[in-house]
Amino acid sequence: MNQKKTQQSTRKNKSDNQQNQEQKRREFVQPSEPVLRFLPTAWAKLLYFRDRGQTEIGGFGITKTDDLLYVEDFVTVKQAATGASISFDDEAVADLFDSQVDAGRKPEQFARIWLHSHPGNSPQPSSIDEETFRRVFGNCQWAVMFVLALGGKSYARLRFNVGPGGPLIVPVVVDYTQSFGPSDYEAWEAEYQANIKHTSWSKTFGSQIEPGFEENVSNYSVPDDWLEELEAMEPSERQCILDELADRPDLWSESEVICEY
Amino acid sequence: MKILFINNEGGGFADYVNLDGGTTVEKFFSEKMAHGKAEDYLIRVNRQPVSRDYVLHEGDRVTITPTKIEGAE
Repeated sequence: MNQKKTQQSTRKNKSDNQQNQEQKRREFVQPSEPVLRFLPTAWAKLLYFRDRGQTEIGGFGITKTDDLLYVEDFVTVKQAATGASISFDDEAVADLFDSQVDAGRKPEQFARIWLHSHPGNSPQPSSIDEETFRRVFGNCQWAVMFVLALGGKSYARLRFNVGPGGPLIVPVVVDYTQSFGPSDYEAWEAEYQANIKHTSWSKTFGSQIEPGFEENVSNYSVPDDWLEELEAMEPSERQCILDELADRPDLWSESEVICEY
Repeated sequence: MKILFINNEGGGFADYVNLDGGTTVEKFFSEKMAHGKAEDYLIRVNRQPVSRDYVLHEGDRVTITPTKIEGAE
């Protein structure tokens, strides 16, 4: 008799614990403020791409139908990438739209969360990031710009372009409270090889460079072997050198600055 | 006639719309993307780039997507 009561009591406690855990999950999954959440597998893929090469990488977040700030997958498109920039291929972006619609998704699920990496420790958006966010996503009802720095810091800004509108910095969370799939290195590597094309800075932004500009750049360019040495460095080491150069305005006069972003 | 229209402006759109026969891509763009500059978009019909005077047909798929998505540190 007593044994039966003990079993019933144990079952009740287990049930209470499950309910408590479920309650905790519900409280976490439904925050009162917007939070950009990543499925761990999507986050892992983003890190894999960020750390795979020596360049920036970028792509889009694919989200749940009923939770547009829950990134279930990170997808890339063909892009020209350098150590400090990315430029998506226009046709590849169109292909992504067509394939995602064919897969039954709406644009708000695959074309609103723009993600890219930065090579150093700072995830703060650059002027080029801001210009792209304004021009490309400024006519959407809402969009998110997310930047993940090599050092691990991230930045996410949700911008509403309807009603009173306005930006909102949102926290970023990797959500382990729901089931998630394993990594898929082979598929990720295949996607990386297919989409991330290492290139030089001048080619990346070639479409914006005025005629004759490249010739001017070559007049001022540093020796190739110095550049190769810089490219071969660990990103953190390279960043240190670039930061040091940036802090030494005595090395050049203002008239020698040929390219500002 | 009906065509499938895909774009990311406003709330985003991927659905069929009705058009008058003889509508060109240029006219369609100016009606649907009133605030946009054509040079900021890639306009494709049935996954192929087309000229602005292309006349749309029943069942066409028009995909208008942003161009020059660039980032830098």
